[in-house]
Amino acid sequence: MTDRILTVRMEAHPADSNTLDRYEATGGYATLRKALVEMSPEQIRDEVKAANLRGRGGAGFPAGVKWGFLAPAEPRYLVINADESEPGTFKDRQLLERDPHQLIEGIVLSSYALGVNHAFIYIRGEYARPARRVQRAVEEAYDAGYLGENILDSGLALDVMVHLGAGAYICGEETALLNSLEGRRGEPRLKPPFPAVEGLYAKPTIVNNVETISNIPWIIANGGSAYDAIGPEGSRGTRIFSLSGHVARPGNYEVVMGMTWREMIYQIGGGIRDGNELKCWIPGGASAPWFTPAVLDEPVTLDDAGRLGSMLGSGGIVVMDETTDVVAAALSIVKFFAHESCGQCTPCREGATWLERILQRIVTGHGREADIGLLLDVCDNISPGLRWPPAQTTICPLGPSLVSPITSIMTHFRSEVEAMIRHAEPAGV
Amino acid sequence: MSDRITIMLDGRPVEVDAGVLLIQAAQDAGTYIPRFCWHPRMNPVGMCRMCLVEVEGPGGTMLTTSCTVPVSEGMVVHTASETVKKAQEGVLEFLLINHPLDCPVCDRGGECPLQDQTMAFGPGESRYVEEKRHFEKPIPISDLVMLDRERCILCARCVRFSDDIAGDPLIEFLDRGNYTQVNTFADEPFASYFSGNTVQICPVGALTATPYRFRARPWDLEAVESVCAGCSVGCRVSVQSSQNEILRLLGVDVEATNHGWLCDKGRFGFQHLAAPDRLTTPLVRGEDGELHEASWSDALDRAARGLAAIVDSSGEGAVAGLGGSRSTNEEALAFERLMRHTIGTPHLDAAMGDALDARLLAAAPRRGLIGDLEQASTVLVWGPDLREELPVLYLRVRRAVAELGAGLVVVHPRASGLDTIADHVVRYRPGEGGALLARLAAGDGDLAEVRSALDDGPVVAIVGRTGLTEDGDLAGAVAGFAAELPDASVLAVSRRSNLYGAIDMGLAPGMGPGRVGEDPGRDADGIVEGLRDGSVKGLVLLGADPAGDHPSGTAGDALSRAEFVVSIDLFINDSNRGADVVLPAAGFAEVEGTMTNLEGRVQKVNRLVPAPGQARPANEILADLADRLGGKWESSTAESLASDIATLVPYADVSWEALDRGTGGDGILARGGDVVYSVPTVSTSVGNGMALHLGRVLYDRGTALMMDPSLAKLTQKPVLHLHPDDASSLGVAVGDQVRVSGSDGSAEVDAAVDPSLSPGVVYLPFNLGVSVGSDPSVTVEKVT
Amino acid sequence: MSWPDDVVERAEVMVAKYPESRSAVMPLLYLAMREDKGLTLDGMRQVADYTGLTPVQVESVASFYSMYKRDSVGDYIVSVCTSISCHLLGGDEVLEAVAEETGVPPGETGSDGRLSVEGVECIGACGGAPAVQVNYELVEGVTPDSARRLCRWLADDQPVVISSDQMQADFGGIRSFEWGPAEPGGATGPVPAFGPLGTEGQRS
Repeated sequence: MTDRILTVRMEAHPADSNTLDRYEATGGYATLRKALVEMSPEQIRDEVKAANLRGRGGAGFPAGVKWGFLAPAEPRYLVINADESEPGTFKDRQLLERDPHQLIEGIVLSSYALGVNHAFIYIRGEYARPARRVQRAVEEAYDAGYLGENILDSGLALDVMVHLGAGAYICGEETALLNSLEGRRGEPRLKPPFPAVEGLYAKPTIVNNVETISNIPWIIANGGSAYDAIGPEGSRGTRIFSLSGHVARPGNYEVVMGMTWREMIYQIGGGIRDGNELKCWIPGGASAPWFTPAVLDEPVTLDDAGRLGSMLGSGGIVVMDETTDVVAAALSIVKFFAHESCGQCTPCREGATWLERILQRIVTGHGREADIGLLLDVCDNISPGLRWPPAQTTICPLGPSLVSPITSIMTHFRSEVEAMIRHAEPAGV
Repeated sequence: MSDRITIMLDGRPVEVDAGVLLIQAAQDAGTYIPRFCWHPRMNPVGMCRMCLVEVEGPGGTMLTTSCTVPVSEGMVVHTASETVKKAQEGVLEFLLINHPLDCPVCDRGGECPLQDQTMAFGPGESRYVEEKRHFEKPIPISDLVMLDRERCILCARCVRFSDDIAGDPLIEFLDRGNYTQVNTFADEPFASYFSGNTVQICPVGALTATPYRFRARPWDLEAVESVCAGCSVGCRVSVQSSQNEILRLLGVDVEATNHGWLCDKGRFGFQHLAAPDRLTTPLVRGEDGELHEASWSDALDRAARGLAAIVDSSGEGAVAGLGGSRSTNEEALAFERLMRHTIGTPHLDAAMGDALDARLLAAAPRRGLIGDLEQASTVLVWGPDLREELPVLYLRVRRAVAELGAGLVVVHPRASGLDTIADHVVRYRPGEGGALLARLAAGDGDLAEVRSALDDGPVVAIVGRTGLTEDGDLAGAVAGFAAELPDASVLAVSRRSNLYGAIDMGLAPGMGPGRVGEDPGRDADGIVEGLRDGSVKGLVLLGADPAGDHPSGTAGDALSRAEFVVSIDLFINDSNRGADVVLPAAGFAEVEGTMTNLEGRVQKVNRLVPAPGQARPANEILADLADRLGGKWESSTAESLASDIATLVPYADVSWEALDRGTGGDGILARGGDVVYSVPTVSTSVGNGMALHLGRVLYDRGTALMMDPSLAKLTQKPVLHLHPDDASSLGVAVGDQVRVSGSDGSAEVDAAVDPSLSPGVVYLPFNLGVSVGSDPSVTVEKVT
Repeated sequence: MSWPDDVVERAEVMVAKYPESRSAVMPLLYLAMREDKGLTLDGMRQVADYTGLTPVQVESVASFYSMYKRDSVGDYIVSVCTSISCHLLGGDEVLEAVAEETGVPPGETGSDGRLSVEGVECIGACGGAPAVQVNYELVEGVTPDSARRLCRWLADDQPVVISSDQMQADFGGIRSFEWGPAEPGGATGPVPAFGPLGTEGQRS
């Protein structure tokens, strides 16, 4: 049974897994070579659909279904979302730095399948080193004939460009990313139309995450059904989780989903640092509502996380131990979202900073009795009903995301917040 | 018309137009959903979130912005549920936490959507105790507009108007998140001809107009609907005054013409009415050679005597009339009666030698409507730079092309406002338009693609004089060509406000009231020529300034040879400074009547304020003058003249009553008439040396504009534009002085370089204080 | 003021490479920023010229993104992450140490114009928290103490090329993952080191 797909090469060949030589020597581009001759674009699309590969960017939408929405108009574009910015997440950085050709082969296969002749890799600006590695790999691929006018004499033409972001979390949202790639402010667009119908330059566009597309060569080499045989239903294939925070062994771990959270944190992550007690964790990036030890024995799957009121999101697991000031932790996350709010819609622009200031007041010892109700009501005006999956008064999901840490501490650690307020100095002194 | 569908709106089934946005459909059905960012003339952006409603769907009931969702059959909508109420209150609270709440000192107070909606939908009190966002306030972002970023709620209406509607992306969102602000580039002001629209559509007091700041409170204003007199588009306006002084004009949304927009010249061009130099008493030239105040009866007696003396000595044909294109139809008809019937001269012209053949304007082949642009597949603009001369028509063409996807062909001697969105731009040398037309019609060489683009109908052709050195007949020939294009609509355009109405009232040689033939007479060129050679001795000017407006630039000299000149005007200008009698007339918003736009659309203009001093409506002045000349007029009031107008065939449906009933509506089209336009052939004079393109700019040195303090400062100094090759062969650098010499004089001006000109063509803006005549052939040399 | 020939050439290549020239705004802003050590009005005007936008449209884009600095910045931007994983493991203390050691408060540039300090949001190094970047070159597993040493090294040695590998060896600790082979180059200024931008330098 396959238990790792994406990180095998880099683990076996730490010194040069990023190079074309090593990639080819370990079977790389053979799938492409074969597929261009033996498979039709439709067959590739069918395999990806059969794989039940769910997007690894955060929303978990099935990639094959997304591809099916691509409108026939031309030209069409493929954009790789390498704007990895969700706090707690650093898996794509490793894939970009350590195995860029795996991504590129995935891009060529996907472009062939989708009728795309121009693909972009949008890498966040702070990822200078990963961007250099990818750029070099792209150049190698051009030189070797895996990219360009007539790929491997198949007649397929594909240009790939690496585009650097410049510091804006919101560009991870796919329509904001497209605006950014068009040279605009990275503000999310209204949907519909969805990118598959009107995306980059208003043309049909597929936006996929780095990890999602890095899986494509394996899926085409081994078949969609082989991928669909890995892991529990609804969470097929392997997945890279980024473990960080107070865990003993932080890092990226490619695993087959379905183990319990206890196994994830205590076996894979090596338990809590310094032998401390686990207090809580964020299961899927800063946008996700937090889990507490009460769910330690629940399985790690997309659907179970959803059932329990959160999500696996971007795969970033942030562990907090008993020493954690959860109000300060929530403030850190709310401050992040306030900083990254694009500002176009009212509830997020105004609400994020307001929430940050209330939390700041509480953390610095100036909280008031009414602040708990106020926090929750302001949250409710951003994400009405404070339910899961969230409703939103905002254009994009950044609104509900900034609500998650607040509802989490209010649900699980309300007494800590109350105590902090109770011991506050009277306001104005 | 559009299909009707049924939706469930707050529990009641209502029938609405299919495909419209929910917010509009609800409004049509009588349910107002609050909003800030949505504007019916702009694409929705769903940013303010104020218009959230609940819509039932397969996945349950969801909050959604009603400005972004089109209605569909059976849609179930809740606009007043508890969830909706809470969401809307929440959005308002968010909008207010950083708002300064300085309503008592805000121009918008009393007519502020934010204030109104806070009263109607907002929470009672704020729970926000932190420091509000601060910006320096207010900052001037142009000569006309001030920006207060603290009041701004970031709805992007101004940004979207400027980017999408006006095509002047000069005001944008800067920064991000909670720090987002609207602003201009540090050294590039919001210098758009359309900037005032952003003030009008700003839902708070963030953008205010310099001329209106702190002048009045909305509840002190009186208002009437009228028509802007700035050009011949005929934009519908609301004229607003306090204490008998006009304080502002707002655009009124009319489908046929302006869609609610105005240009800044139209919007802010009212201050001259209250200018200190406004004429308030009749003036008569005394023995000392100076103009002196006189009583109306003395002045009218003097005017009548002077004109009668010329008729007696030299015959009726020695008297001529110029003007009427800025008057109402009623005033124009009175002028026609005085000249053609009471005095008996055929020499009268409302145009100033700068327009087109009156028959073309009144009866263009396949005469079209502005609204035809909405259905156009292709638009051909071979005429003036619309942005400079007919700004709101420019916006309508922009919309047809940029928003609705029509193709655009622009033919002009230099870059015009529409070039950036044109599919084909054709340049030519003034004087050689006829040859170009022949080549275009044949699809010769490089014009083959342009020619085939014009086969994609419906085609709307906007034709007119690209410049004042161009033969007016060229536009006629272009109109003739365009009329043969598939499903063609032709708009023959000339900019002066009521020129079309004046022509319809018979103020054109050879054309009588109602577009019928009359005895031939002299046009403006002929009258100026007659003044020069002495065959025309007496002249009546009605709101006309040939000295400033006639393209030759020498009409003032011709005028000085006249034996007797009577001027009816608002100001002393270069044409009436030497007149024998100057009679003060009432102006815009001081008289009631009708005007006819470039489509032949008749609209009502209304009176809001009294004329200053002893100034009177021109028709009354003309009637009194006629009386003294033995004319027996049965009607002299505007109202009775209006009844006479309704007897003219094209105006048969037009009455004040019908127009007033249609307040805010599309006016009434005056169509038909006997006159036919025969398409001329134009000859081409292939010139050697330099050819002059004499084009108009929006802010020129017209008398009224120069009396308008807000607009006068926007006029530029005249600059001669040269092709870079010509500049270098003449050894001229930008900013150097050059001498340009033409048919009627020469002038020294600064040089500028304009690569959009063809080599050998120079461009000089008209009426900026420099004139060299209207012949295309000029010489240019560097001043050393 | 106009750009030197090599920058003009790069700008032209960028504009030509994208299907629509407006897409070149972001890379051109990096070029402009590198030329002027921060975005100037002149720089934004140049970008506007190349992309057919108005200067304020360019500023609208530039001001949206954290990495385009409209104030002049130092030769080195020291960016300390304070987002959740780094926050949990002492990122705030690292930032304090950097500010104290350099005398430059977060968000500002030192009076000698050499160094800018900023607290930043997540830079994708959560497994190696707390993390710091110098000119967008990463060092993971930093402590307040090693951060101080890093600052002293920048001040004393004034390195021309900033290299992740070198900083990680000298000042770093735990990493998010095995970094793989060494990188030959690094950053030469306060913009990302990236081949097509011409901002990558080779370590001597």
